[in-house]
Amino acid sequence: MADSEVESQSPDPGAVEEPLFTTLDIVLFTFIVGLLIYWFMSRQKKEEIPEFKKLTAVAPPVRETSFIEKMKKTNRNIVVFYGSQTGTAEEFSNRLAKDAQRYGMRGMAADPEEYDLSELSRLSEINNSLALFCMATYGEGDPTDNAQDFYDWLQETDAELEGVNYTVFALGNKTYEHYNAMGKYVDKRLAELGATRIFDLGMGDDDGNLEEDFVSWREQFWPAVCEHFGVEATGEESSIRQYELVLHTDINMNKVYTGELGRLKSFETQKPPFDSKNPFLAPVTANRKLNKGGSRHLMHVELEISSSKIRYDSGDHVAVYPINDASVVNKIGDILGVDLDTVISLNNLDEESNKRHPFPCPATYRTALMHYLDVSNPPRTNVLYELAQYATDPKDQETMRKMASSSPEGKALYHSWVLDSRRNILAILEDMPSLRPPIDHLCELMPRLQARYYSIASSSKVHANTIHICAVVVEYETKTGRTNKGVATNWLKNKVVTDNGHKSTVPMYVRKSQFRLPFKSSNPVIMIGPGTGIAPFMGFIQERGLLKEQGKEVGETVLFYGCRHRGEDFLYQEELEEFEKAGVLTQLNVAFSRDQEHKVYVQHLLKQNKEHLWKLIHSENAHIYICGDARNMARDVQTAFYEIAEEEGGLTRTQAVDYIKRLMTKGRYSQDVWS
Amino acid sequence: MPAEKMDDSGKEAGISNGGGLVYEEGEAEESVRPEDLSELLAAGTKESHDKAENTQFVKDFLKGRIRRELFKLGTVALYFTYTAMEEEIERNKEHPAIAPLYFPAEIHRHEALARDLEYFYGEDWESQVSCSPAAQRYTGRIREVGRDEPALLVAHAYTRYMGDLSGGQVLKKVAQRAMKLPSTGEGLNFFQFDGIHSAKAFKQLYRSRMNELDLDEPTKERIVAEANLAFQFNMEVFSELEEIGKTLQDEVLDAGMPVHGDVQGDISKCPYYNTKMAASGGASYACQMATAALRHPTGQVLLAALVAALAGLVAWYLM
Repeated sequence: MADSEVESQSPDPGAVEEPLFTTLDIVLFTFIVGLLIYWFMSRQKKEEIPEFKKLTAVAPPVRETSFIEKMKKTNRNIVVFYGSQTGTAEEFSNRLAKDAQRYGMRGMAADPEEYDLSELSRLSEINNSLALFCMATYGEGDPTDNAQDFYDWLQETDAELEGVNYTVFALGNKTYEHYNAMGKYVDKRLAELGATRIFDLGMGDDDGNLEEDFVSWREQFWPAVCEHFGVEATGEESSIRQYELVLHTDINMNKVYTGELGRLKSFETQKPPFDSKNPFLAPVTANRKLNKGGSRHLMHVELEISSSKIRYDSGDHVAVYPINDASVVNKIGDILGVDLDTVISLNNLDEESNKRHPFPCPATYRTALMHYLDVSNPPRTNVLYELAQYATDPKDQETMRKMASSSPEGKALYHSWVLDSRRNILAILEDMPSLRPPIDHLCELMPRLQARYYSIASSSKVHANTIHICAVVVEYETKTGRTNKGVATNWLKNKVVTDNGHKSTVPMYVRKSQFRLPFKSSNPVIMIGPGTGIAPFMGFIQERGLLKEQGKEVGETVLFYGCRHRGEDFLYQEELEEFEKAGVLTQLNVAFSRDQEHKVYVQHLLKQNKEHLWKLIHSENAHIYICGDARNMARDVQTAFYEIAEEEGGLTRTQAVDYIKRLMTKGRYSQDVWS
Repeated sequence: MPAEKMDDSGKEAGISNGGGLVYEEGEAEESVRPEDLSELLAAGTKESHDKAENTQFVKDFLKGRIRRELFKLGTVALYFTYTAMEEEIERNKEHPAIAPLYFPAEIHRHEALARDLEYFYGEDWESQVSCSPAAQRYTGRIREVGRDEPALLVAHAYTRYMGDLSGGQVLKKVAQRAMKLPSTGEGLNFFQFDGIHSAKAFKQLYRSRMNELDLDEPTKERIVAEANLAFQFNMEVFSELEEIGKTLQDEVLDAGMPVHGDVQGDISKCPYYNTKMAASGGASYACQMATAALRHPTGQVLLAALVAALAGLVAWYLM
């Protein structure tokens, strides 16, 4: 019997589990449960488990490799090809294909790898047809994998593409040498083959903001398409609000944002760590004018960071969140006839979007215009396009639409009337009296006020509790007779030094950079920083000075500085001459550009010192640092180094360029430049 | 994950010591070897790097053919690797060969990886993940090096971090799309370097620091060899993942359905896979579950209660 069977097992002491059930138990149990299950199952509908037959290889449906035929079959006139590696270009293509509907057209996105692109010449068989290309560049200016065949075909073919309308949007990254090479090539080549380009090549920069580039290009692209085909945009296109205005008439002011970037009340109760969403309100402990003369105002500002636990290295950047000029904001309120202290929220109509509001809400219009929105830069064309509808005078409306269009006259008008004349939104409202948009739509369209970055002008090893800033106040007359003032520099200039009564603070955080002194202090450094480019080098020199005091072996410390007049804007003259006297600065070379007939700049001084410089660079492992203007100075200095390498190193120009490029790759030639 | 993609051609211009002309009279370009560690490493690992880029795993990944399960296991391998490497770096941070390259805030990844694993496996991720055989060999070597010759840690750091800062952003987008990960970045913290504004500038700084290390020729050569070894370990991890991937792959192919790009390898989306699991796999699994539950006292109590309840229902119906 079962029981005796179980008992007759000789158990190892402690090693065998006691059987849970005897066999009889199990049999009876199973019988009962089985009955019950059967009873239950017969009462319920039997859940379908699909019949799973082993499938033989199903022949794939015959795929149409002719995109022309597919377009004809599905009644499309627009095809959007994408050269995509990570899916971004593909996504853009899908969006463009969907857009077409708004203009009474039908589009389809297509993978060039799946179709025979040589059929492009047949595109004219379709009425009002258009081929769009979203082409990403990969690696060293190469096509993406799925566009390789298309690229090869373009190079080899001599097809005639008359009657083929096209436009290209290029996706790439400016930090790469062959920025947007693929997009540019396709745009050029198709024209060479006789196709008709109907809108400018769009350039998307992933190092900046690819999405923004795409959206602003697209906003002008479709109107151009409509113009080309003589098609009217459907009504809904004219004003697409993204946000819905909500007025808060009776709200607890504790729930209202007053300038914070992230958490409500983050300015009242400050908690580290401090970053872009949670800046530290640093008291201003010094604010003096640096220059002795001239019409400009160069300033030295010190921010106190001891209570923040913020650490920095010389060479890092300090980011500050400025506030717009109150009088400009008040004028906007007056001209639009609005009570700026109304508390509002702008809520995204697209509930799926991550971006609930364009800026922290709820807030007053005043807060939005002072703290969150950029009202000083000339507005982009898409803003003009959206605002045009609010111009009651038809001429004004036409002017606005024209400037937003892609026609050559429109672009020229935008360039002269808006860009060259430096008209900001207030100026536009003043000069177009019939243009009176609702303020909430305006707030939706204005870009966000950005933080400004300054190279820190101090060394934390010498000044642990303060961060120094060296900046020139921006102020200039425009063609319209207005005076435009730089937002951050004017705001900083007006910061009164903190005393017991009044506390002046600057919302800031530190953004680490990779602009660093060599690890070994024995390595020589060559610093080139004219004008406010001197800033990070004040930190570098302070640090080298400290190391020398500490008895460390410090290599040569060479500075090339430049300004206009010795008597006017030789920044930090006293400090630098002290450092020179003390032997911390082994060489102080200053170019005064306007103190004589001919212009003398830092690059001229570099050439004058070419022998010594080459010795430092080639044999003593010197590190070179450039700080300041990107457009001209940095380029001219680089050329000077090519020449030094040629003349002192016996190299050809090509070899010299390669030599300097290698210094850059190896981190021995660094730049902190701005345009 | 692939290592550094070179952004310069690495052509050598001869550098002679002692100032003056770069090339002495009649000297050929190739006769003078570079001394900079960064250049030695770039040249010395080029072959390994190309090989790693061309493994099936990497090629598939770049095309968006990466299954979530495989990506998770890859993240696990990375976690153990970086934890080992960063612990050894931390331990040796005063060592003259490590101090100039000590950038924990900028490049260390183990915390970011821990956050990713929490996203994929839940709060108790630590009890769920384990170090695979290939990852164990890799971390074993890292520990050995950290203990016996810390200067060689540079090779491991170079191989991983330079790569992360090169291909990183591309891989992040590929992974995000392939697995429909949220655009807010969960699961991809590994690719996000919040402490670095410009990857290019950081790599240049890192190279300059490597070149400032005081190392003799033999040590530099050992570092290059160790870097090639690091590539090798990475490729073994890829192979291991590929093998695992094949067992997942088999079930999809069984259905005879062509693997189409759109499905993007997310196996839970394959209708045939789900059905098959329900029809066959489910039953044996349920059986195992049942016996396991029954061994537990609570299971027995529940079962007794269930039987009692059923008996009650039957009685009610029959009455």
